[in-house]
Amino acid sequence: MSRISLVVDGNRYVAEITDSALLLDVLREQAGATGVREGCGVGACGACTVLVDGVSVSSCLALAERYDGARITTASGLPADDEVVESFVECGATQCGYCIPGFVMMAHELLTENPEPDKEDVVRHLDGNICRCGTYAEIRRAVLAAAEKRRAR
Amino acid sequence: MTMLHRPESLDEACMLLAELDDAQVYGGGTAIEILRRQGILFTEDLVDVSRIPELRAVETGPDGVRAGAMVPVRRMETDPAIRRAVPLAARTYGHVANPRVRNTATVGGNVAHGDYRLDPPTALLVLDATIEARSVRGPRSLAVREFFTGFQETALEHDEVITAITVPAQPTDAVGRFVKMSSLSANDWPSASAAALLTTEDGRRTLHLGLGALAPVPVHLSLDVSGMPTERAVSEAMAAAEPLMDPIPDVRGSSDYKRRLGLVAVREAATDVCEERTHA
Ligand SMILES: Cc1cc2nc3c(=O)[nH]c(=O)nc-3n(C[C@H](O)[C@H](O)[C@H](O)COP(=O)(O)OP(=O)(O)OC[C@H]3O[C@@H](n4cnc5c(N)ncnc54)[C@H](O)[C@@H]3O)c2cc1C
Ligand code: FES
Ligand code: FES
Repeated sequence: MSRISLVVDGNRYVAEITDSALLLDVLREQAGATGVREGCGVGACGACTVLVDGVSVSSCLALAERYDGARITTASGLPADDEVVESFVECGATQCGYCIPGFVMMAHELLTENPEPDKEDVVRHLDGNICRCGTYAEIRRAVLAAAEKRRAR
Repeated sequence: MTMLHRPESLDEACMLLAELDDAQVYGGGTAIEILRRQGILFTEDLVDVSRIPELRAVETGPDGVRAGAMVPVRRMETDPAIRRAVPLAARTYGHVANPRVRNTATVGGNVAHGDYRLDPPTALLVLDATIEARSVRGPRSLAVREFFTGFQETALEHDEVITAITVPAQPTDAVGRFVKMSSLSANDWPSASAAALLTTEDGRRTLHLGLGALAPVPVHLSLDVSGMPTERAVSEAMAAAEPLMDPIPDVRGSSDYKRRLGLVAVREAATDVCEERTHA
C-alpha cells in the first residue's frame, strides 16, 4: 500500500492504493470521477481517456502510483460552456453517451495541438476511440465545429 | 502481491534487476498491463524506470538520432528534428496503435516487447539502428538486426535494461516508405507490414526491406537493384521476400492470406521508393 495525491479537475485527492492499482479505478472509486469509463480495458476504445498535464492517457493501462502528484482533467471537470461539449450537443453526437467523455478529451488534446484541424486530422487523432452507437459522422462534425467556435471566441 | 520499484538512477535499476529473482522492467506499461490482465504475465517485481532522467533524453544531429528508452513513441512521430533526421522511422512510429497509446508507450518498451508484429522494428531494421543496454556487468550495444532472436524472444538478458536506441541519419537522397495492412481496423496490429528504403552509394542502388507480422520475428533483407527498372526491382524484391515469410495464422488472417498481403505490402513499398527515385 502507498499513498498518492492527485489533482483531479482542480480538486486534490489523497488515495491509499496498492502497487497494482489502475488509475482508472482510483479515479472512479476514490475521486468520484465517473465520467472516466471502462470499455475494453486494453487501450483500444478510449472510453477511459483522461488528460494528464494536457496529454491523453488510457487510464485503464496506467498504474496509479506513477501519477502521484499529477494534474488530471476528466470530462466532468470541463466548464459548462466548454466549446467541445457544446458542439457535441449541438451536433447530436451523443446517443447512449458511454464513449463521449473519451472522444471529448481526445478532441481537447487535438485542438490544443492543432487549433485548425481538417477532417483528416480529426479522424487521425480520434480513430483510436470506439463508439458502439456509431455516431462517428456527428462526432467528426462536432470537433470541427468546436474548432471554429474556439477561433471565434 | 505486485511490488513496484522506482529507482532514480540507472545503477540502482541494474542492481535491482540483478538482485531480484524474476523482475521485469516497467516502461510505458502498455504491453505489460495487458499481459497481466490476460493472465500471461505473473511477475511480482516491476522495476519502473520512469524516474531516471537520462532515459528521457533525445539527441539529434547530422549522424542521426539517439533516443532514451523512456522517450514516448509519440515523440518519435512528432518531434520535428527526429522527422528530419530519420523520416522513415518517424512515420513508422506514427503507425503504432493510437495517439493515446503512443503517448504512454516507450521506445525501449516497444523493442523489448519483442512482438513479431510491431511496426517500428521494420524501419529500425532497414535503418540499421543500434540498441544500447546496461546491466551490473556494464553497458553493451546490440544491432537491431541481431536483436529479435525468436518468437517473443530478444537478445536482451533478464537483468539488462535498454537505455537508448540510436538510429543513423537517413541519407538525404534515400527514399523511404512504410506500408501496413490491417484486416480488423486501421490502427490495429497489422496482418502484414513492410518498410522499404532505397539508398545509393557510389552508383550502387540498394533496396532494404523490413517485414513485420510475416514471420515469428521481424525480418530484414537487402538487395542490389543497380540499373534495374522499377518493375524488375520490385519483382526481384517480392521474389527475395517471399521465401522469408512464414506468417502465424490468427484472427487477423490465415497464413496464406497474410503472405499475400505481405507481397502486396512489399510491392507497394518497393514500387513507391523506386518510383520516387526515378522521378527525382
Ligand atoms: C490497443 C493497442 C494497440 C496496439 N497496436 C500496435 C500496432 O498496431 N503496432 C505496434 O507496433 N504496436 C502496437 N501495440 C503495441 C505497442 O507498440 C506496445 O504496447 C508498446 O510499444 C510497448 O511499450 P511500453 O513502453 O508500454 O512497454 P511495457 O509494457 O512497459 O513493456 C513491454 C516489455 O518490454 C520490457 N521493457 C520495457 N522497457 C524496457 C527497457 N527500458 N529495458 C528493457 N526492457 C524493457 C518489459 O519488461 C516488457 O517485457 C499496441 C498496443 C495497444 C495497447
Ligand atoms: S477502457 Fe481504456 S481504452 Fe478502452
Ligand atoms: S454514443 Fe453510445 S457508444 Fe458512443
